[in-house]
Amino acid sequence: MLIVEDLDAGYGDLQVLDSIDIEVTEEEYVVIVGPNGAGKSTVMKSIFGLTTHMGGDISFQGREISGLRPEAVIKEGIGYVPQRNNVFPSMTVMENLEMGAYILDEVPQDALEAVFERFPILEERKSQKVGTMSGGQQQMVAMGRALMLDPDLLMLDEPSAGLAPDLVDEMFDRVDLINEMGTAVLIVEQNAKEALRRCDRGYVLVQGENRYEDTGEALLGNEQVRRDFLGG
Amino acid sequence: MVRDGLNDITSRISVEAIRHQVEALRYRASRWSLGEWFGVALVLLVVILAIDLVRRLVVGDIGPSTVGTFLWRGSVDGLLIALAAVGLSMTYSILRFANFSQGDLVTTGAFTGWAAAYVVAGIGVADFGTRFFLNPDRGTSARELDMHIFGAPLAIFTGLIVAAVMTILVALAIDKLVYKRMRNAGGIPLLIASVGVALALRYIIVFFYGERTRGVTRSSPVIEHELLFWTDAVDAHQLVVVVIGVLMVFSLHIVLQYTKLGKAMRAMADNKDLALVTGIPTERVVLVTWVLGAGLTGMGGYLIVLEQETLNFNTGWFLLLLIFAAVILGGIGSIYGAIVGALIIGMAINISLVWIPSDLTEVAAFMLMILILIFRPSGIFGGVETA
Repeated sequence: MLIVEDLDAGYGDLQVLDSIDIEVTEEEYVVIVGPNGAGKSTVMKSIFGLTTHMGGDISFQGREISGLRPEAVIKEGIGYVPQRNNVFPSMTVMENLEMGAYILDEVPQDALEAVFERFPILEERKSQKVGTMSGGQQQMVAMGRALMLDPDLLMLDEPSAGLAPDLVDEMFDRVDLINEMGTAVLIVEQNAKEALRRCDRGYVLVQGENRYEDTGEALLGNEQVRRDFLGG
Repeated sequence: MVRDGLNDITSRISVEAIRHQVEALRYRASRWSLGEWFGVALVLLVVILAIDLVRRLVVGDIGPSTVGTFLWRGSVDGLLIALAAVGLSMTYSILRFANFSQGDLVTTGAFTGWAAAYVVAGIGVADFGTRFFLNPDRGTSARELDMHIFGAPLAIFTGLIVAAVMTILVALAIDKLVYKRMRNAGGIPLLIASVGVALALRYIIVFFYGERTRGVTRSSPVIEHELLFWTDAVDAHQLVVVVIGVLMVFSLHIVLQYTKLGKAMRAMADNKDLALVTGIPTERVVLVTWVLGAGLTGMGGYLIVLEQETLNFNTGWFLLLLIFAAVILGGIGSIYGAIVGALIIGMAINISLVWIPSDLTEVAAFMLMILILIFRPSGIFGGVETA
């Protein structure tokens, strides 16, 4: 479904990604792990047209999407939750969700109900300003916002960052649920072990290059990967 | 003995309790930031001044009608500043720069609007050039055109619309020529560019209209109205300012809270990067920002002239610092804060007349602005996001 092939990208003159290959098939759950500065977030930003494209192809469901503006990428069916600052803090929960469906003429009621079903607390607090909510709840708002268009692929950039440890598991459960409902998931995680345990496939990125690619289980079992990237 | 002992204990307990509370209070106070102390001092000052105001009223130092007049003029000035301050606050929160050409957009609205009003009001009285250039040879006076709200209502309302439309067009043209090319250049280059734009606008206006100050309206008719306002009478033109000002502020509130584009504006002010990846068409939001901001600013400029009767190329420039003061007071980038800040500034420069001579009222307003910049840079509301 998503095929990133031989991608070179970066910011301005600075090249960060060096011929990256990533693939996500229908309903798959794919994780990108790797040390800081490996270019994990840059991959997502590149898919969303937020970096300087320097070469290679990005296609989604058979259509070339490299060079498209973010609003066009969204229309293709990709949702994206950035790592930090992923909510509109002075707006209410409801308004945040409405913004998620901005490209539609009207707020899709079925998608809204689906989001409320997944995150009941958001319905309870739909008039609350998101800036006054806890980190875990803000993360739900961010995911809910990205799900308003019922994307075929949901990209999450370090969703566990800044969450209290006991909330991290809950977050992963939620991602599992989203995936089970038929949405493919591409996720960048610092919490590598847990993410690899739950995913279908994983990529290890180092210094902007592909280093390993395998099923999550196999990567966890790989002695070298364990030693170099998972802390033993 | 026993009772004495008990008394001793209870009194000691209560003393202990009080001491404990004082300690707690002192501890909390010791953790206050400079900004919080400043806030407390400011509130105290306001309370003391309010008490003094009541005292003066009771003693008969000043009459209630004087206070009424100050309050009324405060709302008039406040709303006039608010119309321009909203525009400044919008460009700040959405385009991320302090637009120093805001004052000259005010002037632009004033000149284009009044030119239109003269063109309409002077049909059959003077030739087009005279009307369009606002009576350059002093042949056709405001008296001759009966230029007040009852004398030429149609012309005056036409002028108001034209002021808004022309200011929007000028702002959009400037955006396309200048700001759009440096959208991501950062706040400082944009600010400096806006100073250039300000000067360019000013001297284009001077080129067409010259430097002299001209009286463009007749003095306002007076409405007797002892009941509604404490003042004996109210200028009709001030009433027009207040009605239109309130209407505009209220409409803006509706747009921001209940329309899709208004919400998108707030979203972009909140988090520009997220707005982009959410699919909000950011350039369209910028366009709407200019339309709303410049429209209100142009109307503000036009109405300022209606109230003060005179117009020159510096009208908006002199107002710019008051506009900035209002925006800073309410918290830079907060649209609602700008409105409240403007009303406070308007009230302050009028009510302060009770204590200080009129030459010093603006000094007081700017001292307040500087103190807030030093001690509470996020505004008197302490950065509580309001949009």
